[in-house]
Amino acid sequence: MEKLYVNAIGPDGDVSTVGLFYSQPEAQKTVDMLGTNPERVGYRYEIVEAVRHVLSEKNPPTSKE
Amino acid sequence: MRGITPRREQGMADPVLAEMVHATGATESRHYAAVKPVIQAYRASWVKLAPFRDGPVNPQRVPVDDPAAMTAQIKAKASEWGANLVGVCRLQPHMIDLGSEVVHEFVIACCVAEDYEKVLHGPDAVEEEAMRTYAKCTEISTALAAYVREMGYPAIAHHNGASEVQAIPIFYQVGFGELGRHGSLINEKYGASFRPGFVTTDLPLVEDQPREFGVQDFCMNCNVCQRNCPGDAIPQDHVMTLGIKRWLIDLEKCYPYSRLREEYCHLCVDVCPYNVKSHPDTYKALMKERKQVGYKTPKTY
Repeated sequence: MEKLYVNAIGPDGDVSTVGLFYSQPEAQKTVDMLGTNPERVGYRYEIVEAVRHVLSEKNPPTSKE
Repeated sequence: MRGITPRREQGMADPVLAEMVHATGATESRHYAAVKPVIQAYRASWVKLAPFRDGPVNPQRVPVDDPAAMTAQIKAKASEWGANLVGVCRLQPHMIDLGSEVVHEFVIACCVAEDYEKVLHGPDAVEEEAMRTYAKCTEISTALAAYVREMGYPAIAHHNGASEVQAIPIFYQVGFGELGRHGSLINEKYGASFRPGFVTTDLPLVEDQPREFGVQDFCMNCNVCQRNCPGDAIPQDHVMTLGIKRWLIDLEKCYPYSRLREEYCHLCVDVCPYNVKSHPDTYKALMKERKQVGYKTPKTY
């Protein structure tokens, strides 16, 4: 499954992660909604691949379930 | 005020869960399909109360000359009805769901603590306790909204039956605690074992303030929830959202344990060392169980 972050970039350049999304359409829908929000004038948004090291990679201990 | 924080849909309306369920050839999540009568009854209770979130406002408005006294009165009333913590803050866009609009100035946050002893009685007991506290929060927020409207101020309850507000940013802002690695807010007394209910209103109130006691620093090194997650869904690294560290749970790894099987999963919260202060014996007993089946536990247990 695809893993994408939506980041909000403020007028001062500060980056704040909006959330983790699991498809391009899901992430794009969020960006589109934020883009029309009058509370967020001056913000821009980026959709970036969630980097692998951020998502844990250890093997789940399935033998214990 | 329009919201800016996305809310993930629940049940099969969540596209991630729907895709994973359909990949197994099923049409419904096993966890939701196997719901027990007692859980059904709790869920029905908040659906039943949803139409009473809002209602007529008394045209005879009670003047509020002292917002601090009114805040104390509201907190006392919510506590009398069963809330363990009550706080107030000014509503901000990140506390509201993306796509929703809430016109009120303040939000009153209530929480009801779960009985942590249930962790020793298995997933069914833990789930039943979670649903009991959700139902209690629904009752309290519904009654509190009606109480405020009776004083002549608009007020809407937000709970499991229907809500446009987000629990974690509000709980942080009112000083209930800090966000932990497992994605839930941690309070120093109740750990993360509590459930939310809210009232948004224009009743003049006095705000509480965020209160930090080292949770985020502690979570950077603890990793007990991460090492006990059966699905490896809790990440090592964090992102930053509005200056707060957030560890974003990987739902693709969480759902096989929390949605695709019948059993409830609440382990990340149950194993959190912030439970030990209020429930030392129960926490130690749970950690002993976890250690016996091979999971990481704090060094002292």
